[in-house]
Amino acid sequence: MGSVVVEQLRKEFSGVTVLQNIDLDIKEGEFFALLGPSGCGKTTTMRCIAGFESPTSGTIKIGNKDVAKLAPNERNCGMVFQSYALFPHMNVFDNVAYSLNIKELRKANLFKKIGVYTRMLNSKLVKYPKEVEKKVMDILEYVELTDHAKKLTSELSGGQQQRVALARALVMEPEVLLMDEPLSNLDLKLRHTMRNTIRRIQQDMKITTIFVTHDQEEAMSMADRIAVMKDGEILQIGTPTDLYSNPKSSFIADFVGTSNILPGKVVASENGLTTVQIGNQKIQSVTKTDKKDIQVIIRPENINVLSEGSDDNGNAFEGVIQFATYLGSTVRYDVKVGEHQLVVDTTYESGDSIKKNGSTIRLGVSPERVLII
Amino acid sequence: MNRFKRNFTGIGLVKLLVYAFFLLFLIIPLVSVFLVSFTNEPINVFGSFISWEQMQITIDQFKNATLDNFKSIFAYGSYFEGLLNSLKLSFIVSLWVLVICIPIAYGIARTKMPFKRTISALCTIPLVIPTFISAYAFIIMFGRAGWVTYIYEKLGGEGMLLDPYSMTGIAIVQIFFFFPYALWPMVAAFKISDVSLEEASRNMGSKGWLTFITVTFPLAIPGMLSTALVIFAVSFSDFGTPIILAPSDLNLIVVDAYREIAGFFNWGGAAILTVIMIAVAGVIYWLQNYLLKGKNYDTLSGKPKKIKLSENKALTIPISIFSGFVVLIPILAMATVFLQSIATTWGKDPLPSGYTLEHYRTIFTSSLGNIQNSLILAAGALILSVIIATFVSYFVVRQRSTTLDFMTTVPLIVPGIAFGIALIQTFNTAPLQLTGTAFILIIAYSIRRLPYMVRSTVGTMKAIKQDIEEAAVNLGASTLTAAITVIGPLMLPGIAAGSILVFVTVIKETSISILMAPAEWAPMSLAIFQNVMRAEYYSAAAMSVILVVMVLVLQALANKLSGGNKS
Repeated sequence: MGSVVVEQLRKEFSGVTVLQNIDLDIKEGEFFALLGPSGCGKTTTMRCIAGFESPTSGTIKIGNKDVAKLAPNERNCGMVFQSYALFPHMNVFDNVAYSLNIKELRKANLFKKIGVYTRMLNSKLVKYPKEVEKKVMDILEYVELTDHAKKLTSELSGGQQQRVALARALVMEPEVLLMDEPLSNLDLKLRHTMRNTIRRIQQDMKITTIFVTHDQEEAMSMADRIAVMKDGEILQIGTPTDLYSNPKSSFIADFVGTSNILPGKVVASENGLTTVQIGNQKIQSVTKTDKKDIQVIIRPENINVLSEGSDDNGNAFEGVIQFATYLGSTVRYDVKVGEHQLVVDTTYESGDSIKKNGSTIRLGVSPERVLII
Repeated sequence: MNRFKRNFTGIGLVKLLVYAFFLLFLIIPLVSVFLVSFTNEPINVFGSFISWEQMQITIDQFKNATLDNFKSIFAYGSYFEGLLNSLKLSFIVSLWVLVICIPIAYGIARTKMPFKRTISALCTIPLVIPTFISAYAFIIMFGRAGWVTYIYEKLGGEGMLLDPYSMTGIAIVQIFFFFPYALWPMVAAFKISDVSLEEASRNMGSKGWLTFITVTFPLAIPGMLSTALVIFAVSFSDFGTPIILAPSDLNLIVVDAYREIAGFFNWGGAAILTVIMIAVAGVIYWLQNYLLKGKNYDTLSGKPKKIKLSENKALTIPISIFSGFVVLIPILAMATVFLQSIATTWGKDPLPSGYTLEHYRTIFTSSLGNIQNSLILAAGALILSVIIATFVSYFVVRQRSTTLDFMTTVPLIVPGIAFGIALIQTFNTAPLQLTGTAFILIIAYSIRRLPYMVRSTVGTMKAIKQDIEEAAVNLGASTLTAAITVIGPLMLPGIAAGSILVFVTVIKETSISILMAPAEWAPMSLAIFQNVMRAEYYSAAAMSVILVVMVLVLQALANKLSGGNKS
C-alpha cells in the first residue's frame, strides 16, 4: 500500500487543456474521492494515475516513486472500471487469476511461459499452481463469490460482476485501488449495499483507494476526504463534514448537499456579527468578510420554523409556503420570502401536521448557521 | 528516448513487421512495375540497395528510360485496341446486368412473387463458381458439340446459337455469373427508397406503373449507378472468362498482359498494360466512392420501415418467370459440367452416351497432388492473412492507423493479373528471387484476399470495448500479452468466418494461379485451366465439380459461423 502524490498535473488533448493545477496528497490507507460533474476531468486524473493517459506536465508519485517512466502495466494500480471490463471469454476464477498468471509469466522460462499462455487461453488444459488457487479462492470467499467461481461472468448479476471486478483488482495486491464510477450501473438498493461492502473491504485491507464519482451522496458516505473538481481544476479538498459546513464556493455549497444561496451586500460589521442586506431583509452572520458583494449560504435543515412568540435570535423573516413535500422523516417546504425562494427542511414526527400551501410562516436561523462567501 | 524504447518492444516491433510486409510485397512491386513501364526492362530494386554495381546498372536503365510505351498505348495499336475492347466489354456487361437486375431486385424487395425465397437462394450460386469454370461450361453448352447447339439445329437453326469464343460469349458468361454482385445492393436500394413517397404518388391518382417510373425508379438511381460501377470493375478485372473464351483476334487488356509476360517475356509491354489496368480500376473505385459520398445506406436501412409488398399477380408472375429464367442459366451450366464429369463420351447429343465415375477415379489417382496443392496453398494464405489481418485491425481500430487502413484497400483496386505481373517482375532476380516459389504464391494470395479478412476482423475488433484491453494492461499484461490472451480469443469468431472466406477465394483464385504457380505447386484451378486448354474436358469437368463442392461446403460453414454469431 502506498501514498499517492500528484503535483501540478496538467493535461492537454490536442491543444485543449482538460486538467490544470491538480495537486493531490493522498495518504496511505486513505479512501479518497474525486467528485464532480461529468466532464470535470476526474476520470482523466485517474487515468493519468493509472498510466492510460500521459500528463502534459506535472509529476505523479505512487508510494514515493515517480511513475512517469512506468507503463500502465508496471504501475501496480488495481483498477475497477465503470463497465467492470470483465473478460467475457473467461470464467470468474480465470478473471480473478489473470494478474497472478501475468506475474507467473514474468518469472517463467520459455517452456513455462508457453504453459502459462495456454492456461490463459484455456484453463482446462494447464493447472494452476496451488498457491494461486488458494489466493484466488480466498479473495472470492472474501467477496462472497465462492459458489460462482466456475461461472461465466455473463451469468452473474450486476452486483456479482461488480464484486468480481473488485476481487480481480484486489488479488494483485495493488499499491493503490482505483475505482471509476463503480456503482453507476447498479440499481439504488444494490448501490447502498455495495457502498458498505467496498468501505468494509477498504478498511479491512487498509488499501489506499481513489474513487471517482459524480454522486455527492456516494462520496460523502464513503470517503475519508473528497476533492471537488470542476472544469479541469480542483475547487476544494476536505473531509465530508468540512465540505458540507465550510464550502469555499457557491458551486460546492450547491453540489455538496442542498443550499439556499442568496446574493447580498454587507452593510455593517460589529461585535463579531456581520449584517447583510438581502432585498429588503437584513440577516446576521458570524462569518467575517472584507468583501462587500457576497453570497449568503444557508442549509435547509438550519432554518427553523418558529412558533408564534418564540425567540428569534434576530434573524427572523416571514414567508409564504409555495409547496410542501413529505419525505418520510422530514418535510421540505418551498417558501417564498420577499423575492427569494428558500428551501426549508423540518423534521417530521408522526402526528405532526404538514402546513398547507399558501399559509404564512415565520422562519428563523441562528447567525452561526449563516455562511458568507 | 522513452518513446523510442517503447516503440521497439513487443507490439511496436509487430507494427514495424506489418509495415515491412506491405512495403516489400505491395508497395515496392507496384512502384517497380510503374518504373519498368519507362525503362522497358526489369529493374532490380533490392539488388540496387545491396550492391553498388547493381545500382549503377539501375541508374543506367533510368538514363535510357523512354515514353515509348506510353506513346504506343495511344498510337492506335493492339494495346490501345485491347484497352478499348476491355472497356467496351465492361460497359456492355454492367449495362445488361443492370437491366436484368432491376426486375429481379424489385421482385425480391417489393413484391410477394411466387418462389421468392428459392429464387433468392439460387441467386447466390453464381458467386461460388470460378469464372473460368463458367466459361468452360459455356463451351460445352454452346460450342460446336454442345447440346444447346444440337437443340438449336434440330429446331431449324444453322451453325451455333451463339459463338462462345467471341466478345458476345464472354459478355454473356460475365452477365449471368456476375449479376448477383449487383442484385443484393439493388435489393437494398429498393428497400430504402421511401415508401411513403410512393403512397403519396398513388394517393394523387398515379397508377402503379407510373409510380414506379416516376418515383421508385429515380429514387433508386444513385444506388444503381454505384452498383453498375462495381460490375464494371469486376468485369474489367476478370481474367477467368477471357483467358478461356477470347479468340486470338480479340484483344482484351487482361489477356494481352498475360500473353506479354507468359508468352513473350516482354517486361515493358506487360508493365505498361499493368499500369493502365491499375489506373482504370483506380478511377472506377474513386468514382464509386464519389457517388456514395454522403449517402450512408447503412444508417438509412437501420430504420425499419414497413413496406407493403405488392401481390398483384399480373406483375409478380412475369417477374418470377423472368427471374427463374435468369438463374436457370448458371444452374444449367453447372449441371452440364456435372453431366460431363460422369459421361463416358458426350458428342453432339442432348445427353451423354453413357455414365461412369472413371474421371473421378483418374483425378483421385493421378491429380490428387493438385487438390493437395490447393489445400496447402490456401491454408498457407489463410494463416498468413489471419495473422496480418488481426494485427492490422488492431492498429486500425485502436491506434487509428490510416496508413494501414489504406494499404488494405489497395489490393481491392488492383486487378489480380496486374498484381501478379508486378510481383513476378520485382522478385525475378537475386537477392530476392522468389518468382516461381510457393512462398510468393502464398503471399500473393494473402494480399489479394486480405481486404475481406480485414473487413471481418475490424468489425469484431470494433465490437470489443477498449476498457477490456485496458483492464488486462492494468492487471499487468503487456500490450502484446493482452492481445494474445484477451483480444485474440474475443476476435476468434470473426477470424474464423473471415478465414474460411479467404480459404474459399484462394481455392477459386484464377489469375494469380495461372500466372504465378510453378508446375510442382499447380493448384486445382491451374490444372483445370490446363485441361481445358488441352481440350481434356472430362477430367476438367470432374475437377471442377470437386472444386465447386469444396467451395459450397466451406461457404455454408462460413455462413453458419457468422450467422450463429449474430444471434
